[in-house]
Amino acid sequence: MGVTCVCQVPVSEGKSVQQTVDILHKKLEQLGAVKQGNFWVDCETYHATGNATGQPSKLLYVMHNSETPLSCMALFEGGPGLSADANFDVLMVKLKSHFQNAKGHKVESRGVRYRYCDFLVKIGTVAMSSSARGISVEVEYCACVIPGDCWNLMKEFMQSFLGSNTPELPTVFTSKAEGLSVPVDCMDTMSQYLELFGRVRKQQVLPGSGVR
Amino acid sequence: MADVMNVGVNLEAFSLAINAIQALRSSVTRVFDSLKDGMKNKETLEGREKVFITEFQDNLQSVNRDLNELERLSTLVGRPSESHPLHNSGLLSLDPVQDKTPLYSQLLQAYKWSNKLQYHAGLASSLLNQQSLKRSANQMGTSAKRRPKVQPSTLVLPIQYVDDVISRIGRMFPDMSIELFRPNGTSAVLLVTLGKVLKAIVVMRSLFIDRTIVRGFHENIYSEDGKLDIWSKSNYQAFQKVTDHATTALLHYQLPQMPDVVVRSFMTWLRSYIKLFQNPCQRCGKFLQEGLPPTWRDFRTLEAFHDTCRQ
Repeated sequence: MGVTCVCQVPVSEGKSVQQTVDILHKKLEQLGAVKQGNFWVDCETYHATGNATGQPSKLLYVMHNSETPLSCMALFEGGPGLSADANFDVLMVKLKSHFQNAKGHKVESRGVRYRYCDFLVKIGTVAMSSSARGISVEVEYCACVIPGDCWNLMKEFMQSFLGSNTPELPTVFTSKAEGLSVPVDCMDTMSQYLELFGRVRKQQVLPGSGVR
Repeated sequence: MADVMNVGVNLEAFSLAINAIQALRSSVTRVFDSLKDGMKNKETLEGREKVFITEFQDNLQSVNRDLNELERLSTLVGRPSESHPLHNSGLLSLDPVQDKTPLYSQLLQAYKWSNKLQYHAGLASSLLNQQSLKRSANQMGTSAKRRPKVQPSTLVLPIQYVDDVISRIGRMFPDMSIELFRPNGTSAVLLVTLGKVLKAIVVMRSLFIDRTIVRGFHENIYSEDGKLDIWSKSNYQAFQKVTDHATTALLHYQLPQMPDVVVRSFMTWLRSYIKLFQNPCQRCGKFLQEGLPPTWRDFRTLEAFHDTCRQ
């Protein structure tokens, strides 16, 4: 578990989602990266019901990551998060009276996982109710756990295949009270994905872009 | 031209001399033949003896004659030319059928080769004598006698002294924590945690560093049975490279008389990795080369370089 950076790559003009993903694959392979299996990250939305105290209803997101297949992460919108065993999903079914699954809000990103030295790169197609909405790129530098230490190094690596789409330091790190020298954990990655999925949900459906 | 003439004359004398040798040998054989046969059957004993003696004298005279002839010819032949660098084997060059027996050219080749070998071996031995290699070459010559005296004094240091040296070094570097373990007997194993960058396991023998292995800050340093894992290498290529360089540093920092200085220099060098991911290469100015950060640190200046940029 190293420092991760998740970002959205815009679809190139005149190209489909799949074509843009293929271009990214080609660039990585030219760099010397090796394909190493597939990955997926998904996110389900739950509405809190039975809101007796009159507080505004909060959304709960339950996420899974193929990198941690035995875990299940639950995050409140802008609030605390937890990671639990995978049978947390069963618990959510039991809590139906409190949290209602917002069907049709499920977002997931699936794609290919590449390894280049100590870097892991995951290029995924973000899909919502089986229509491709965008491209996610996750870069992980496995050798380092301090974002403040290796950010410049990661940036240099991302520039080599993302060019002008290279993102800035993710806000999940900058907004931490303890600063940039705290070791990362898997929740940092998930909240970056959650942020990305939130942006994708709001965005217009791309014309003519069904999932493969 | 004169040589050719000379050789011609000599050759003639040679063939004559060979003939003379053959004649000598046959006359000598005749002497012994007559001796072997003994006295021939004659009527009187005196007659028998007389015939035998005259025959024997004749034979001896012919031996004498042949010997004189050979001696005369041998002065004509003269001594084989001593000026030839290969002495008698130089005569092989006189063989007219070079194609079938290229002995002479092969001999020259072998001679040149062995000359060269001797020359180079001489050069190598003088060079090797100048360089006193730090670890292994001490066994040569005079130092072989000194070695057994030096080693025990630094190998058998009191445990308390080793602990003191290590804790003093630990206090020198606030961003570096050094824990000391003695899992097997008196030899110390140090677990060095450098900031939040890396963990190094340093295996000591007394105050000599025997082996070191570097892993990532978040990597496991204990094996399944809860002991310090001093064998398995890091999962990350960056730290595998750093481990290689640290082993190089162990060989570089050597001062058998003052082992505590060596440990201190090594730790100072290791501490420069605190900015492993933050310092760009001093030569190419980049962070990454072939996916790796600048993993090399100069032994004197402690500047960061990529492995390929350091020359």
